[in-house]
Amino acid sequence: MSALANAPFYVTTSGGYLLVLAIILPAVAVLAMLLVPPRHVARIAFAVMAAGLAVALVIVAELVGTGMALAYVVGGWQPPLGLALRADGLSAAMLAMTAVVICATGLFARFHQCLEPETQDGRAATTFWPLLMAIWSALNAIFVGEDLFTLYVALELLTFAAVPLVCLDGRAETIAAALRYLMFALLGSLLYLLGAALLYGVFGALDIHSLSRLDGGAPAVTVALGLMIAGLLAKAALFPLHLWLPPAHAGAPAAASAVLSALVIKAPVFLILRLVLDVAPSSAGPLAGQIFIGQILIGQILAVLGASSILFCSVMAFRQQRLKLMIAYSTVAQIGYLFIVFPLAAGTETLPAWGTIAWTGGALQLVSHALAKAAMFMAAGAVAEAFGHDRISDLGGFGRILPISALAFGLAGLSLMGLPPSGGFIAKCLLLTAAVTGGHPWLAATILAGGLLAGGYVFRIVDRALATPAVELVARRPIPRRLEAVALVLALAAVGVGFVPLQPFGFLQLGRPAVSAMVAP
Amino acid sequence: MSTAGLLVAATLLLPLAMTALCVISAFRARALSLLVLAPIPALMAALWAPEGTLVFFPAPFRMTLTLDRPGALLLGGAALLWSAAGAFAAAYMAGKPRTAGFAIWWLLTLAGSLGTFVVADIASFYLVYGLVSLAAFGLIAHEQTARAQHAGTVYVVLALVGEACLLLAFVMLAAGSPEANPLIRDVVAKLPSSPMRDGIVALLILGFALKMGLVPLHVWLPLAHPAAPMPASAVLSGVVVKAGVIGLIRFLPFDSGLPGWGAVLMLVGIVTAYYGVIVGVTQLRAKTILAYSTVSQMGLLAVLLGISLGEGDPGGVNLVAYYGVHHTLVKGGLFLAVGIVAATGGARLRPVLLLTAILALSLGGLPLTSGALAKLATKPTLGYGALGMAMSVAAAGSTLLMLHFIATVAGDARGNAETVAPASEVVPWLVVALAALVVPWSLYPAVSGDPALSALQPDAIWKLVWPMALGGVAMLLLRRFRAVSGSIPEGDILVLAERCGPAVRRLGVGVEHLDAGLRRWPVAGLLLLCIAIALAGSLIAWR
Repeated sequence: MSALANAPFYVTTSGGYLLVLAIILPAVAVLAMLLVPPRHVARIAFAVMAAGLAVALVIVAELVGTGMALAYVVGGWQPPLGLALRADGLSAAMLAMTAVVICATGLFARFHQCLEPETQDGRAATTFWPLLMAIWSALNAIFVGEDLFTLYVALELLTFAAVPLVCLDGRAETIAAALRYLMFALLGSLLYLLGAALLYGVFGALDIHSLSRLDGGAPAVTVALGLMIAGLLAKAALFPLHLWLPPAHAGAPAAASAVLSALVIKAPVFLILRLVLDVAPSSAGPLAGQIFIGQILIGQILAVLGASSILFCSVMAFRQQRLKLMIAYSTVAQIGYLFIVFPLAAGTETLPAWGTIAWTGGALQLVSHALAKAAMFMAAGAVAEAFGHDRISDLGGFGRILPISALAFGLAGLSLMGLPPSGGFIAKCLLLTAAVTGGHPWLAATILAGGLLAGGYVFRIVDRALATPAVELVARRPIPRRLEAVALVLALAAVGVGFVPLQPFGFLQLGRPAVSAMVAP
Repeated sequence: MSTAGLLVAATLLLPLAMTALCVISAFRARALSLLVLAPIPALMAALWAPEGTLVFFPAPFRMTLTLDRPGALLLGGAALLWSAAGAFAAAYMAGKPRTAGFAIWWLLTLAGSLGTFVVADIASFYLVYGLVSLAAFGLIAHEQTARAQHAGTVYVVLALVGEACLLLAFVMLAAGSPEANPLIRDVVAKLPSSPMRDGIVALLILGFALKMGLVPLHVWLPLAHPAAPMPASAVLSGVVVKAGVIGLIRFLPFDSGLPGWGAVLMLVGIVTAYYGVIVGVTQLRAKTILAYSTVSQMGLLAVLLGISLGEGDPGGVNLVAYYGVHHTLVKGGLFLAVGIVAATGGARLRPVLLLTAILALSLGGLPLTSGALAKLATKPTLGYGALGMAMSVAAAGSTLLMLHFIATVAGDARGNAETVAPASEVVPWLVVALAALVVPWSLYPAVSGDPALSALQPDAIWKLVWPMALGGVAMLLLRRFRAVSGSIPEGDILVLAERCGPAVRRLGVGVEHLDAGLRRWPVAGLLLLCIAIALAGSLIAWR
């Protein structure tokens, strides 16, 4: 142990440059797009998407191959002086998921733009691509960043790229929604920055590895963590801080909604996970017992918020009259599941948090929700495009006209409801098992009730899709198959996640210390 | 994989493959006429695959299939009815709108329904059970009338509640197991010693009783079964309810027994058996009467299951399965008969009604029919005390209900034009009716341990005849009280539950108001600060 302690923690590994590529490629694309004429913008985007997807997959393959985390130390300067990038199993999974969703969204957006050839190289269409690339770059930076300031910059980039996506069509109501989003996200950023500054002021370090070895009992750490987590909650739109999400996600164009709901709000959730798990002092310190309880208490507050989010926003989703608003509220509800993971995945001395089934369940929920929600928003986009509105009561029989979209919606719904076979089922099954074995009856009840309510709101739409209305529904314009097929592919991917085994998933623990000995049954 | 294993695997895979092929429009157009083939592997497996056949699917498909005695019995009966009803559907639905969608829902329900009889591991059981539960919605709501919509909604709500109960029960069952997806029989063997035993058993009974339609969870059944098209009603009432029966057979610890829970199941069963009859005789529509008869019959099965559970008698489940096969075939035949009778008039009506009447009275235990055999086979289990008497009186009730059904069907058919039902509908019906009369004879010696001829002894016949006579007398009395007919709405106590609708709606409006309040800037800002303080404070407090 002592030999290890003296050796630098961050060492550039063989595939480390891939992490840099993952961040730089989309960023370079943004710059390139500013230089070329509008009609080439989409072409650049597709080239970068192909490359980025390849990079993400190679990162995953590298992790599987070596069984170790990838790391890259920028310029060879060790933190706290220099910057480090690191991808463990969870980060790599996030990178891959992000790449898949971004590429699908890109395809969907392109097919969607092709519906109106006269505006396909217009302002809104060409603005979309750099924003999408900026979001991608920021997300990748958040998933592999190792110090709080890099993460702050990435979070800001994310927010500033996401806000214009909301008001891309320039209608007054979407601009209002975007401003609401911007203001609240800025409040969140402020709190986060305050916390990071506090930590830096007291300890002079910002990288997560140094911070994790601090005396966690110091008041500065606790106050800083409280501020940062609260700020991130505002950006993640957890109930009751969800004021900005429904109008923003429902008002944005379908492709933008898909990215916002599937990916953008996952970034702050991922950071909260890292803060609670890595910066919030672990049981290794001298004050093990007490600090451990502090971590548990944060977990419980987050779980209460998460559970209220599940129940409250599921009811709200059920009450919505418009399809996209329903999906947006469902996002807030589904995000809640990610927060009830904290008490469920509370590790013990022998089993670290990332060895628990709840950890796997949470990660699977994150991935399957991203895929399912993107698929749902795209299906809703196809519906809105075909009929010119998304009022649920007037959509009777849309399944006859858009069978692929209806199927995609239904399959994505399976995942949200937690019915097999789907990623959502495995996720909720694992969380439920953790709740039952860990003695959390209220969380178990919440998971079940959330599934029932999700069943309610998904069923409402499926029922509409199958209905035979008195007045035959007529499509405003034909919707090309390929547009609908993108949603179906994502929904099928969400279902496919359901084939991972029902146990702690080894890949998600890669790069986490001392785990192999502990998960062996 | 052996031939038997392939057959068992094809039980599940063929209908699923056919569903997948419906992507091709040419196949989709012909899917309806191919429904008859989908359950054929299941039928062959039930007939020829030896007991104890095990099939493991390779990873990542975590699925294990097995065939045991009760599973094979129920599988055979179910496959036969599915196949015949499929043939009936091909003729009955031809030319109607949206047949492709109907065929897809049919195949999915079929796959799930047959799957429940052969699946051996917990996760796959939940999968196929969910499949049959949710796909059945497509059949129930198919006709898109207001009634069908209402029935479908009620059904889905209750089915989802049942799924939630079962998921929790399964998770609790598997929680103590070292494997992530254990075999059902392994976890059930450990169930009696589980610290969460009573909770698990309660959830299991709740979840499966919902599917079986035990009182007071039966409310969806009289709404859903009549709402579906005729062949779908037949399989819903004949087979789909058996998913609950096989669930209880698989998941309750019959080896060691649980006397307390056995008594609960028995009590619920007795109440259900009588309740179904009492409400059933007030009904006016033939299909609803049949649905209530299913409720009543499921009560009888629950009594048998309760006895076996109470006494720790694993052999008892074979009797339950035997009774289940009888009910599957007879009830399926009766629902198809309603369709045949409605399409028949004139001189042909009389023989059709006669066969319908024989099938119907079989449920009351008409000598020489499968009902008589089922009643005789279960007689030793029920005993000759108060319970045996109670069940004999319940048989009288069944007779009464079936007489009421015959009278209703005959009354409905009075105005029929001089027509003949098409042979493509009559033949499947005759196959089911014939199977209902013959198959139980061939199974009787193996299940009851007595030779089939013992069912013809005078004292055996007497045991059957007096409850029927009692039922006949009750029918005569019932005719005097015309006020009862139509006095209880379909779905009985559901009407009371729906009174709560406005309260639920008010709650929803309240949630909306609260949401609007929470989403105001000052409130959200304040909450953000409070959360920040709470998070920071919680850590400081524990320093």
